[in-house]
Amino acid sequence: MIYEKKIAIERNKLTKSLRNFFEKEKFLEVETPIMVKIPGMEPHLNVFETDLITPNKKTKLFLNHSPELQMKKLLGANFGNIFTLTKTFRNGEIGGNFHNPEFTMLEWYRIKADYKDLMKDCEKLVKTLAKKSEITYQNHKINIKTPWEKFSCEELFQKYCKISLDKNRTFKQLKKTSEEKNFDTNGCENWDDIFFKIFLNHIEPHLGKEKPTFVYDYPSTQAALAKKSSKNPFFAERFELYIGGIEIANAFSELTDSKEQKSRLIEEQKMRKKLKKTIFDIDGEFLASLESIQQNTAGIALGVDRLFMILMDKKNIEDVLLFPLNKILN
Amino acid sequence: MAMTTDIKKGLAINFKNGTWLVIEAQFVNPGKGGAFTRAKIRNLKSNQVIEYTFKAGESVEEADINRRKCQYMYNDGANFYFMDNDTYEQFSLPADVIGNDSRFLIDGISCYAMHIDGVPTSIELPPKMDFKVVTTTPGIKGDTATGGSKDATIETGANIKVPLFVKEGDMIKINTEDGSYVSKAN
Repeated sequence: MIYEKKIAIERNKLTKSLRNFFEKEKFLEVETPIMVKIPGMEPHLNVFETDLITPNKKTKLFLNHSPELQMKKLLGANFGNIFTLTKTFRNGEIGGNFHNPEFTMLEWYRIKADYKDLMKDCEKLVKTLAKKSEITYQNHKINIKTPWEKFSCEELFQKYCKISLDKNRTFKQLKKTSEEKNFDTNGCENWDDIFFKIFLNHIEPHLGKEKPTFVYDYPSTQAALAKKSSKNPFFAERFELYIGGIEIANAFSELTDSKEQKSRLIEEQKMRKKLKKTIFDIDGEFLASLESIQQNTAGIALGVDRLFMILMDKKNIEDVLLFPLNKILN
Repeated sequence: MAMTTDIKKGLAINFKNGTWLVIEAQFVNPGKGGAFTRAKIRNLKSNQVIEYTFKAGESVEEADINRRKCQYMYNDGANFYFMDNDTYEQFSLPADVIGNDSRFLIDGISCYAMHIDGVPTSIELPPKMDFKVVTTTPGIKGDTATGGSKDATIETGANIKVPLFVKEGDMIKINTEDGSYVSKAN
């Protein structure tokens, strides 16, 4: 295997300025666990499992796929603005240019804030790390002067596909409209499947090519931990950040209503059963913590390796990792 | 035609009025969505490579192709000439169909020809191949600022980044898809 010292040096510089940024913004850095008893309930994620072995029993533990539940417990304990830089794990996600089963995640939570404030954080953070107003990624010049582009999901479907999500709220309607416009819906079993099949093939490749792009207000079905939009509850206050066609970050105005959160977790648990995935308990401590979060809070997860790929102009995530799993398996 | 729900590397499919070879298939969970397979597919006639995302479990039509072992012989710049291992029949493919794979072709090397309706339309290299290093800078010192790797030229003339311990005359294993060093060959 080739170990590039240059990569380690560049990552080290970027990580330092990332920590500096949050220090200046008066965030507290917290360490979250890699092994947990109850991971997040996202229906489609596959986890790595392990056993804790003590003299009389075995306890099932999981490698965390996101530090979100732990971060919210700290918010409930009144920690204020916090961030963590941690390793997260997703089973089965390997290969291609953008995945390594073990990756570095940056999560930060801002109190007295909503998702729009996090968009500003993203702009400031990337500008600070890039140290210039234009970056070149794989021969594409990307202008990172603010403000960046912002499109709602509804606007993007109208723009690239002439489809209104809002007017096609049922599976049947969306399937009919999509097929009339010659979009491939093969294999799609529900509304979200069609959304993603069209989004991934016809919208995502365009995003963030000239300027970084925020895609905001996702259908509520795809935002289990987010607050619904007060303007139109069919959508939720969630955004994703794209740079150079690559998804970099995912953010929410956090849902802090523990009753509603509980019912959404039960739904997701059922979905995991249906999909024959490992079933997790519902984390009662997490639900209780939500009740003590007094202020509006917004949180975001950012894929650090992907952001570094862009800033270092590397095509494959493996080029910014010293020990990519694919190469180890070779 | 056979249908399959298992889109994986090496599968040939009929899709969008053409025959395509899946050269990369990766399982993805977009955002908060279900399982999809993001594939890189190469058109076996035009060699055009596109990305397409299939819903995991969707049925696609398998294409009727034949993968036959052959040997590379030579090229005249415009065309590359091969010989079928069983029939000894010779055939040629234009340079643009060979594309970047030409950097790993030297006289006598074995690869596969993909036949559609009996006609060879493209070649496929083994995913990993062994080559001899013909020139590289000596020693393990390297450049301490960048560290880790140095340039080497292999017997085909291609330039490869290798670790510092690799010497001239060493046999090394190369990933033919991206041209990266894998390990020393034994």
